[in-house]
Amino acid sequence: MKNLDKLLGELASQKLQAQTRRHFLVDCVSKLGGLAMAPLLFGCDLGKNGQVKSGLNLSERDLNPLASIPPPFLAKAKSIIYLHMAGAPSQLELFDYKPELAKLNDQDCPESLLEGRKFAFIRGVPKMLGPQANFKQHGESGAWVSDYLPHFSQMVDEVAFLKAMHTDQFNHGPAQLFMQTGSPRLGRPSLGSWVTYGLGTENQNLPGFVVLTSGGKTPDAGKSVWGSGFLPSVYQGVQCRSKGDPVLYLEDPKGMTRDLKKNVISAINQANQEDFENFGDPEILARINQFEMAYRMQIEVPEVMNINDEPAYIHELYGTKPGEESFANNCLLARKLVEKGVRVVQLYDWGWDTHGTDRDGSIDLGLRNKCREIDRPITALLMDLKQRGLLEETLVVWGGEFGRTPMQENREGKVQGFKGRDHHVDAFTMWVAGGGVKKGASYGITDDFGFSGIDERTSVHDLHATILHLMGFDHEKFTYEFQGRPFRLTDVEGELIRKILA
Amino acid sequence: MFDFIFQLFGRFHPLLVHLPIGILLFGIILVFLSKSDKTAYFDSIRLAFLLGGISALASSASGFLQYQNEGFAWDSVQFHFYFGLVTTVTSFWLFFELKNKQVLPFNFKLKSSGLTVLLLITGHLGGNITHGEEYLTEVLPEGIQNLLGVEEPDKGLSISPQNWEQLRYYEGVVQPILNSNCKSCHNPRNSKGDLDLSSYESLLAGGENGPAIHSSDFEKSELYARLNLPLDHEDHMPPQEKRQPKKEEVELIRLWIVNGASTTQTLGEAKVEQKLLEPFFIKEEKAFYPEITLKEVSPDTLQNLKAIGFYSEPVFQGSPFLKVTCINFKTFSDEDLKSLNGVKDNLAYLDLSGTQISDEVLNDLSLFPNLTVLKLNETKISGENLAKLKANTYLKHLYLNGTQVSAIQLEVLNELKSLEKVYAFNTPITEAQDRKKFKFSLEIGGYTLPPIPSDTIVY
Ligand code: HEC
Repeated sequence: MKNLDKLLGELASQKLQAQTRRHFLVDCVSKLGGLAMAPLLFGCDLGKNGQVKSGLNLSERDLNPLASIPPPFLAKAKSIIYLHMAGAPSQLELFDYKPELAKLNDQDCPESLLEGRKFAFIRGVPKMLGPQANFKQHGESGAWVSDYLPHFSQMVDEVAFLKAMHTDQFNHGPAQLFMQTGSPRLGRPSLGSWVTYGLGTENQNLPGFVVLTSGGKTPDAGKSVWGSGFLPSVYQGVQCRSKGDPVLYLEDPKGMTRDLKKNVISAINQANQEDFENFGDPEILARINQFEMAYRMQIEVPEVMNINDEPAYIHELYGTKPGEESFANNCLLARKLVEKGVRVVQLYDWGWDTHGTDRDGSIDLGLRNKCREIDRPITALLMDLKQRGLLEETLVVWGGEFGRTPMQENREGKVQGFKGRDHHVDAFTMWVAGGGVKKGASYGITDDFGFSGIDERTSVHDLHATILHLMGFDHEKFTYEFQGRPFRLTDVEGELIRKILA
Repeated sequence: MFDFIFQLFGRFHPLLVHLPIGILLFGIILVFLSKSDKTAYFDSIRLAFLLGGISALASSASGFLQYQNEGFAWDSVQFHFYFGLVTTVTSFWLFFELKNKQVLPFNFKLKSSGLTVLLLITGHLGGNITHGEEYLTEVLPEGIQNLLGVEEPDKGLSISPQNWEQLRYYEGVVQPILNSNCKSCHNPRNSKGDLDLSSYESLLAGGENGPAIHSSDFEKSELYARLNLPLDHEDHMPPQEKRQPKKEEVELIRLWIVNGASTTQTLGEAKVEQKLLEPFFIKEEKAFYPEITLKEVSPDTLQNLKAIGFYSEPVFQGSPFLKVTCINFKTFSDEDLKSLNGVKDNLAYLDLSGTQISDEVLNDLSLFPNLTVLKLNETKISGENLAKLKANTYLKHLYLNGTQVSAIQLEVLNELKSLEKVYAFNTPITEAQDRKKFKFSLEIGGYTLPPIPSDTIVY
């Protein structure tokens, strides 16, 4: 108790120091009845009024920013599992079958494809590179999938392919940001943050937005791809690990009992609460909530992040090995998290950048290895979600940040030691599956070389609009007031892709 | 400590505002009943303006407190507030004009009329805040709405997938496209480039540069040509920064011109391909939840359920149907079902997975007539009582994963016509051949991915 008094005393003096002429004016104005003056003087709203405009009823949210809110419209999906292959997998070796391209193998690239174009590394006139995989049609939908993904090819009737995706960023960082936040520049909230902001989360003992990484590195764009941008920071993704402590520093330090921890947290929160009442800064609330959630998470997170207790047939299905940091483990975790009511689970797997500069980065060897690492897990994930009825309510998204060129990379004008493809913005493939998605659909057609989309092209904003639609939002109405104007995930663009809706 | 007083006083605003309106109008009526040189009501008029002013002040003050305490955005209330203040000041001014006088001063009727206008504006702005801007206009006939320039909420082009061939090309397709893409700048009140695209006649009349349509020649027809210009061309329509029509919409306009831009032709006669129209087909979705009218659950009731430990929210904003789960309420047991009695009609989605329930709970589920999704995963449900669910005539999805139900027990549910899907993964039911017996689709899972060579080949 003595310590608490001390803390409060400290806070009081801090507060006095923070008192400024403005606070004095505010007090005079609002408390001495200067009714008309306050809004005139303080056009930029004080305290909670700043948030009111965002259109959410904040009374409950003030106390708990992750409190659930019903979606504006009947949602088809309640959670998202987003599988991002960082580095950008080649659509031409996986899904976009181009027999014509095979005929042009090793010939000079036609001038028409190069005119007015810029590539990340290709210079001069490169050679064309035919598909390095064998393709077959699968399922009732007859979708083309290569032998790089033998397990996944069983699942084509569950997914909808977007085969003419395009973006406008040809470097990893900006393109990943664009794919995840709707803008190639820093500062915008990620898709997961938007959704958690708009819907809150169901399980109050787990974070609403969890990020899992594999492949040895985090995405080039850094943690901003799951950042909350201008949204309050409680909505950012929480990075968890499948190896070691699931969340860093979540364990109690040695010698600290749970009761003691509870007392400490409530004292800190009390002090913070008073701070909030004085300054009205929503970030303070975020802080309070994070302390409380961390306390609750201490019990529930280790439980949900522990895959040891899963039955053997599940481990066989996913190909998981407890204790590793692997994409397979992350897929199993994704299912467990969604099952426990986590709103958004974002997986990043690093290592898909196949330029052909070395063996690991080659289209015919390294890419096969990467595909082996994900083939069984993604197939298992879809099957497992399906058998539990979770696929009904979960949206699964798979893709990279852009595609790869039909031309062989010729970095510095030289032939590379291995077969590789450069970054390509004009055409690439993604797929979505689950809640509200038309099964076995294929949308978008590319030209004979897989260079550009010629019909049903889909922009990143279109994809975002569609994801938000399935989560129960109108992407044009889902806005957040910031710096004097409403912001959207889809900026001023984005059209719903109706043809892939169930 | 007494801060609540402010909020309480603020909440009296809706009551207080009627006083100045009534009192001041009464005063103003008396003014107009008076002759300019002599009046029998002089004292009453003066009193009316004084009381009117005081009550207007009280209204403004309570209104401001309401804004501060109830979460209104300043942008939406500011003009109402300013007009309220001006009304207050004007009332007092008129009162002081009458002070120490015996006759109505010069021009007093004019000034009173001014006050009337202020009162009306303030009241109207206030009404808009509570009832929404469209409250009055939405009941007007469409013609008058157009005259007033009321913009109807734009629904865009939508076509019924049945009998679209009979739909008039102009009325059913072209005008709706123009309405949703062009009308905001090309209407009778606001005709950019002198062009009004709100009716066939005005469209034919064209704009500054003459007719918008050159019979059958789409390239010469400005109506199409401008849509077809590159986006960054300065003559491109709609201007670059505005929302652009879909490419199908542009193509539909072109075809209409090619076909002679007639008002009577149907889509079938114009031989429009179905592919062009598909993006606009109305999806005739069968509602997932029961199609009945019910009242929404009150926020207090929701709050109570949350306090008990349930996750409980309407299935979407404004829906009367409730989704309730026990995700953070694992101690839920049979008796706790009682706490849902207050929302028994509203409960449409109930998830009791992982809780302490027993077969008994099924006896009471018939209390919830609109239950559509029921999840009983990972519970002690043995399947004995499943027949009880036949009373839930809206039940569509039933989850029994990780329970002890058997195929025979499930068979009774064949009588439940609404039932579409049953999930029974990880139950004693393993035989896929059992599935034929069921009228609903049964998912028993148990998928495996046998090892294949490529699982282990490292390149
Ligand atoms: C944001 C406002 C805006 C919208 C929306 C808009 N226009 Fe315009 N339009 C203008 C302006 C301003 C002009 C006059 C300047 C000019 O000629 O470019 C104009 C001129 C025109 C003209 C030339 C009239 C003449 O005779 O000079 C045509 C034709 C036209 N618009 C067609 C359309 C069509 C068709 C659409 C919808 C698909 C549309 N506009 C949507 C603002 C708009």
